[in-house]
Amino acid sequence: MNCTIVVIDDHELVLDGTVNLLKDHYPNATIQIAQTRQTGQTLIEQLQPDLVVVDLSIPESEGATARFETGIELLKFLMQHYPTLNIVVQSMNPKPLVRLKPMIDDHEGGFTIADKKLRRDEMLTKLDMALNGGTYLPKEMKLGLEVKPEWLELLRLAYQEGLQDKAIAKEMNISDRTVRNYWTKVQDALSVYPEDNQNLRTQVGIRAREEGLID
Amino acid sequence: MGKMSHKYWERIRDEVAIWRIGALPGLFVIGLVILLRLVGALQPSEWWMLDFLLRSRSPESTDERILIVGIDEADIQAVGTYPISDGTLAELIETLQTDEPRVIGLDLIRDLPVEPGQDRLNQAFQAENIIGIEKVLPDLSNNTIAPPAGLAPEQIGFADVVLDADTALRRSLLETFTETGEQRFSLALLLTERYLAEEGIDLENGIYDPVAMRFGDVEIPYVLPNSGGYVNADANNYQTLIHYRSGEEPFHRVSMTDILNGNVPEEWIRDRVVLIGSRAVSAGDLVRSSAVDNDSSGLIYGVESHAHVASQIISAVLDDRPLLRTWANTWDYVWIIGWGLLGIVLSRVLASPFKTLFALGIASTVLFILCVVALMGGWWLPLVPALSVLILNSAGLTAALFYRHQQDLKAKIYDRQSVIEHTFDAIHNGPLQTLAGIMRHCPEESYSRDQLYNELQKLNHELRMVYDSIQQETLLPNQHFYVCNGHSFDLQRPTHELLHEVYRATLNRPFQHFEPLKVKVVSFQPIDVRILSIEQKRRLCRFLEEALCNAGKYAKEMTRLEVTCKPQAGKILIRVADNGSGIAIDSRLSAGRGTQQAMMLAKQLNGTFQRIPNSKKGTICELTYPIAKPWF
Repeated sequence: MNCTIVVIDDHELVLDGTVNLLKDHYPNATIQIAQTRQTGQTLIEQLQPDLVVVDLSIPESEGATARFETGIELLKFLMQHYPTLNIVVQSMNPKPLVRLKPMIDDHEGGFTIADKKLRRDEMLTKLDMALNGGTYLPKEMKLGLEVKPEWLELLRLAYQEGLQDKAIAKEMNISDRTVRNYWTKVQDALSVYPEDNQNLRTQVGIRAREEGLID
Repeated sequence: MGKMSHKYWERIRDEVAIWRIGALPGLFVIGLVILLRLVGALQPSEWWMLDFLLRSRSPESTDERILIVGIDEADIQAVGTYPISDGTLAELIETLQTDEPRVIGLDLIRDLPVEPGQDRLNQAFQAENIIGIEKVLPDLSNNTIAPPAGLAPEQIGFADVVLDADTALRRSLLETFTETGEQRFSLALLLTERYLAEEGIDLENGIYDPVAMRFGDVEIPYVLPNSGGYVNADANNYQTLIHYRSGEEPFHRVSMTDILNGNVPEEWIRDRVVLIGSRAVSAGDLVRSSAVDNDSSGLIYGVESHAHVASQIISAVLDDRPLLRTWANTWDYVWIIGWGLLGIVLSRVLASPFKTLFALGIASTVLFILCVVALMGGWWLPLVPALSVLILNSAGLTAALFYRHQQDLKAKIYDRQSVIEHTFDAIHNGPLQTLAGIMRHCPEESYSRDQLYNELQKLNHELRMVYDSIQQETLLPNQHFYVCNGHSFDLQRPTHELLHEVYRATLNRPFQHFEPLKVKVVSFQPIDVRILSIEQKRRLCRFLEEALCNAGKYAKEMTRLEVTCKPQAGKILIRVADNGSGIAIDSRLSAGRGTQQAMMLAKQLNGTFQRIPNSKKGTICELTYPIAKPWF
């Protein structure tokens, strides 16, 4: 795949590991690295990358202490300024991200959270998901089944009215892209992921009925 | 060091601020009082005060040097004619002369002869120790009155008086000029001059002030247009303030009949100044003076006023009795400004209204006593303006202090009230909820001992947390919102983020109806299009916490909970909607603390709060407020 990826991590070892993994998986990708928030943000502004892999705990600038607040601030900035940017957050502890939950729910790009201890193939799944605009949030970040009113409307239109995406977009007065984004959010909310290798929409329909999202 | 100097500067700044509030009006008051004095508005009150102080003096001894022979109503009745004839008058003078008075003043208009006895009177007038009167200043009808024909020019003094605007006699005209420009002395001055000449003291020009009249080492002070309390007084020629001799008997007074019948001790006459004048009301020779204590409605006979003037100069020269004098104008104003500043300082330094009032009492008393003592020494000080600025400044500032005191009290009460409310909120939203949960489980005995123990332990913990949260939220300046399970959120973060945190924290609390809850439909969008204060944000957080707690407590079999926080149609909407079979509108709820809080918040934000049934089942609890801040 021909794409641009920016990796931000202050640990060189982790950085190397991530970069190697990415190079293996996406041989044609342009990969740029940064070790601080400032350099990372500048890179992103310059390159407009397809994917950003961010460590939550990073230093603000060279020599500063790595703090997760810095990563949070960076993510906030990125989601505010690049609403369709695909983001993978690498973190051992996703709890600080909870405060960004409403923002992540509204983010139109891919957004996955990958534990640094993940196996190589699991890590790749998260990278792929994000690059494809998918969403994955770990259980700790969710408060059970939590949905937005717009997603409920999507489910109603799709399963009760039997509408196709285009019709749904028209009905809800949103773009096709947003419709697709809603689907990924609903999938994540219902924990239906592509790796299950099943018909996603059917699965979502079944789970939504189980949970009472649709009658 | 930096902190120290910062504190120091802050203190100075505070002090300056207080002085600006306190002292500027004070200086204004001083300026105003001075202005009032300059335009004459205080003149009547200063006169009144002078009269009052003079009247209040303890009585002085009778001046043995002066005898007043008053022709009273009884004398007129006895003689049978009025005016009394020249013959009778001559007889009176002759009788007096036998006892060799030093000088006789005749304060009777005798420009025309009153027969019989003109020759005999003229004969009596040959004696050099007789002084008669004339009126040299034109009256309203532009008339003057000539002296008795038989007197030599050096035996004639004028009897003209200068009255103040309130018709009172406070100044004595000692020297004036006739319309033709001739110099004239007053009757009182001539009597004094004659009397003192015998003592070897002559009338001379002043040494310190060449303009002044001087007898020995006493220079007679003279009135200027703005002397003392006077403003633009007619101070022409030589006038001096009358230092009335106090007491009911300043001079011996006898009647004409007493003299003619030889009823007067010889020593009252020999070597004395004898003043003959009218002491009959019918004769009309009366002047007003409130400075002497008498019971004839402030009126004294003209002859007595001359006696007072002659007496005051003679006593000044021979007895060192002070003459009445005033400060130069500059000192008047230094004095007034000084007392005004003292008034400001009193209220500022003492700070407490009661102490200031007390000090004001002392300062006023001191001022009063100072003025009384000064007057005893002959100095007429500006008491009224000084007292005015002192009282206005300290009392005015005291009033301001009272106000501040009251404001402080109000603020304290408000603070206390808010601590009480915070305490109640903290107990209500935390431990009381847990307790309600335990109590609900108890009848069903659905708790195991361990569960019950855990719950009680939690209750214990929450109760202990109340103190922390109160302290953190109320006693310290604080920008955090505390939820009962120990989390705290920075209130400076965006409101929707805060509400989201509150939502998550509250949903994690073990309310029984959160357990069957399957779906949460949430929407937290930025709502800071209207900027809220920290306190308003805190209350919004409380509102959401309370609404969610209610759902957790009362929404039975709730499967879906909608939490909304977003702008909608020009308003901000914050809503919690459940689908439990709870109480839509429960009397317990609507009367409860939470409802009160919500109502207050809605009112403050100019919005509305309502708790209404949800479309099919359940309850909606929502707060809306306009995005546009009200203009006031």
